[in-house]
Amino acid sequence: MQLERPAVTLPGSAGSAPRTALHPKNAALKQRLLTAEHWLCIERARYTTEVWRQTEGLHPSLRAARALANVFEKMTLRLEPEELLVGNRASKPIAPPIAPERGDFTFVFRYLLEDLLAFGYRITPEDKAELLEELIPWWAGRTVRDAKVAALQAHHLDSPPNASPAELVRKLRAFGPRALGRLLTPRGGTSEPLLRRLPRLLGAIRAGASDNVKGRGRCTDTQAHIVPGHKNVLALGFSGIRAQAEARLARAGTDDERHFLEAVLLTCDAMRAFSRRFATLARAEAEGGCAAERRGELLELAQRCERVPWLPPRSFAEAVQALWFVQNAAIISYGAGSGITPGRVDQLLLPFYEADVAKGALDRAHALRLLEELVIKLNDNVVIWPNIGGVELNHLGSDVENLTIGGVDRQGADATNALSWLFIEAIENTNLATTASFRVSKKSPPEYVRRVVEMHRRTNSPAFLSDETAIATLRRDGYSLEDARDYCLVGCVEPSGNGDTFGATGGSKVYFPTALDLVFNRGRTTFFGNQDGPDTGDPRRFGSFDELLAAYFRQLEVMVAQVTEATRLRDAIWAERFHNPLISSTIDGCVERARDMTRGGARYNFGAVGGGGLGTAVDSLAAVRAFVFEQRAVSMDELLAALACNFRGHEALRLRLRAGPRFGVDDPHVDALAALVVARFCELVRAQPTVTGGHFKASLISYGLNVYEGALEPATPDGRFAGAPLSNSMSPSNGAETKGPTAALNSVSRIDQTAIGYGNSLNMRLPIGLVGSEKGQEAVAGLLRAYFGNGGFHVQFNTADAATLRAAQQRPQDFPDLIVRVSGYSAYFTRLGPSIQDDLIARAEVAL
Amino acid sequence: MKGRVFDVQRCCVHDGPGIRTTVFLAGCPLRCAWCHNPEAFSGQTARSVEAREVLREVLEDRAFYEATGGGLTVSGGEPLLQAPFVVELCAGARAAGLHTCLQTSGAVDEAALRAVLEVVDLVQFDLKHLDPARHLALTGRGNEGVLANAALAASGARQVEFRVPIVPGLTDAAEDLARTAAFVRGLGVGALHLVPYQRTYLGKYAQLGLLARCEQVEPPSPAAMHAHAAEVERHGLAARIAG
Repeated sequence: MQLERPAVTLPGSAGSAPRTALHPKNAALKQRLLTAEHWLCIERARYTTEVWRQTEGLHPSLRAARALANVFEKMTLRLEPEELLVGNRASKPIAPPIAPERGDFTFVFRYLLEDLLAFGYRITPEDKAELLEELIPWWAGRTVRDAKVAALQAHHLDSPPNASPAELVRKLRAFGPRALGRLLTPRGGTSEPLLRRLPRLLGAIRAGASDNVKGRGRCTDTQAHIVPGHKNVLALGFSGIRAQAEARLARAGTDDERHFLEAVLLTCDAMRAFSRRFATLARAEAEGGCAAERRGELLELAQRCERVPWLPPRSFAEAVQALWFVQNAAIISYGAGSGITPGRVDQLLLPFYEADVAKGALDRAHALRLLEELVIKLNDNVVIWPNIGGVELNHLGSDVENLTIGGVDRQGADATNALSWLFIEAIENTNLATTASFRVSKKSPPEYVRRVVEMHRRTNSPAFLSDETAIATLRRDGYSLEDARDYCLVGCVEPSGNGDTFGATGGSKVYFPTALDLVFNRGRTTFFGNQDGPDTGDPRRFGSFDELLAAYFRQLEVMVAQVTEATRLRDAIWAERFHNPLISSTIDGCVERARDMTRGGARYNFGAVGGGGLGTAVDSLAAVRAFVFEQRAVSMDELLAALACNFRGHEALRLRLRAGPRFGVDDPHVDALAALVVARFCELVRAQPTVTGGHFKASLISYGLNVYEGALEPATPDGRFAGAPLSNSMSPSNGAETKGPTAALNSVSRIDQTAIGYGNSLNMRLPIGLVGSEKGQEAVAGLLRAYFGNGGFHVQFNTADAATLRAAQQRPQDFPDLIVRVSGYSAYFTRLGPSIQDDLIARAEVAL
Repeated sequence: MKGRVFDVQRCCVHDGPGIRTTVFLAGCPLRCAWCHNPEAFSGQTARSVEAREVLREVLEDRAFYEATGGGLTVSGGEPLLQAPFVVELCAGARAAGLHTCLQTSGAVDEAALRAVLEVVDLVQFDLKHLDPARHLALTGRGNEGVLANAALAASGARQVEFRVPIVPGLTDAAEDLARTAAFVRGLGVGALHLVPYQRTYLGKYAQLGLLARCEQVEPPSPAAMHAHAAEVERHGLAARIAG
């Protein structure tokens, strides 16, 4: 992901919206964000552990509340000289809060700390000693991860890689030394020789494999991925929430109810104390002899922190501050890597903005400054992730705090408002890797859609979401019409209720190509080599494609059953031991039911299972259908032999397969297969219950992990090599969109997207040169309207950047669908001569 | 009926209004020095295909045309060499509610143009050079028929856009543009479209084993294009620079 792209003015921008520049104070904040060192801060871990050590046997809600209160009371507060909003989460400007109780990052510290440090993270020697010698050892055997691993083992849902000599030989043939080596090679990190690293790496891989469920399913340790009830805090303040909890406590029926409500009281008080610590700090700073202007700012800031989030905000600035306090506190409560989402920010903040503007108490420029600062703060949330396998995830903003903008209101009227426009400007001005989702309905003003399209020229790709499809999806999952209309996007593109849902939208996943691997190997995956799935018979004996497809769906069914069972086991651990009274107290339903969100307190409850690699799987199934069963040009035997040795000595066959049928070129025969696979997957997922009383919902999202995900997948019948990336999200395979965007959109539209409860993402590469002109922007808006009219849910456009073009110049075979559009005709980039390619690369370097 | 087609490109945005599918027909009476589509006359990639087959493919993107006011563009080569095919294709597209556009050099029989005018909403008519001798030198043919057809298009088309390719050193002299502008104005048309020369097509020549005559020509700069546009506007026409 690109962090910064130079803002340039291109011809044709005349007549577009007025431009403002990033406020100088925010420019300084941004600069600090981009240049600050990444630190590992252990305060969150230390103060949580302190309480846990003393509270063995305490009710989980109370234990969590006391631990969080201790963190809020003792953690270092920061106040940067340019800030109007306060609320930090660690002792350094950029440092992810570490939640040792989850255990998901423990292995990173134990085995990969040196890699993190080599990558640029820093930690003081004292903190390092405390983390490794005191904190992590105390948690051994107590974390979510440890309990989950034990539960998976007890239920025979784990699958340690089969390392018998025969299996190792088989794996080595199927993947080749290069693909296996890639798994072990860091990128841009340490120069330490592999042999010295190997023991640590193997430890990390063993620990990392603890997310693995049977045949390549994944079940991570976290739930989260939630929209806190910002709306309730803005309406009531924590004082109001506390009053409700107190009233409910008077009629608590059980100890569980009472303890949960007491935990809410404690948390509300802790939130007040936390914000008041900032007030004290700001006052001290104001008295410390700063410039008069800053002194005024600090005193106002202190006043705001004395009021919110304890009392409901009275002004726009108080509302933004309250929202940030809740957002920041929720992230601290959960730790890094939690996908806490602010939700519909333009709707949440509008009443305060309008009231201030009506009173003459706020001008647009000041409102914009506050929003810019909020956007910058949303972008400093890094995730600690091991830098192995050539994947770099520890970049800024990777723990997505998705902003939802635009769309209809609870009554169905268009709700695009002044703040929608201001947020667009703030996101453009800050020009960071902000995750923002723009809701588009049939009622959205065309100029709003055009304006968002225009953003492509100044900042990274905004996501478009169809209200019609999303609302239909939420209705299918049981939301009332009003609640469905109020949806927000969580994590990447998961539609969820606005502060009324415990949905844990991320974390569990299966891969569509795996089911085919299981069919080919009668229930064993090539990588793990255990009998994880049912034996669906000898594929060489299948008489028809339908027989193969039946076996495929049987494997998929078992995979979904396994991964949801594993997820229930994990969720039971959270429900039993790891509560979150802070987020729970804000969510509709929890106080009323006197129950933590992990125990089904929220009004709406769901779980998630993602499906990955759809394009790869569909292309593979279509290739088997075409070559083995329809044309009978390749025998199953020959195909399996070629896959088992990663096409070594079968290059002619591989090229034929590569030129075979593809999802994404408007071929109804292939698209029908994609529609069938998705429909069946969604049905299988929906049939599974969660421990909170809801059902699982399917998603088709890659989280940008599709490169990594392909590493364990053997060669596939679409001619893809072992270990190569899978197709991403719901998009066609890389290089498959040879007929351009409209054909690809038509293909994807053949899938019933309202069945995909947690959404899908479609990443569409636009022809080079399209968004540079107003006409091109119109066309993009048209693509969008037509796709949404045909039932599309999400689309995100990107234009190949200079780096991509350079890669295409070097490896043309990997980029057959990179289209250049110029007046009069279009051409494939890879077929242009090198000098013209160089010219386009040079142009891409300055503009989109 | 069948036509000879060398390419069908979906999601075009520069060949008329909205999102369009552009159908490229093989064969051309001209050999312009800067020809972007040498496949049109090399014959190597053309296939023979039924108009209804082409129409079926064009209609797949109907939703996108409806969302943007787009439709079908017939280009080439010189599509009017296959006028009956164009008529069948465009008539079918119009019957289906699509906007239709013809791109032509005008270097064809008047009857061919006349037949097609009935079934197209927009004619994009190239005026490569007003001087007959220069036209001959640059394209291999004189322009007498072209100018007569331009008059026919101006009076008979539902909408017409005259376009001048701006190839530095070949077609961009101020006096030549002035002459073209005067001619267009004389036809009662109020705008002239300037299409800058681009180099992106050159790879095709290498692939087809052909020699590109304009290999060394650099595209006009944005400043040069604006100067040309100003020149055209001094002659009382609106100038539009194609993107």
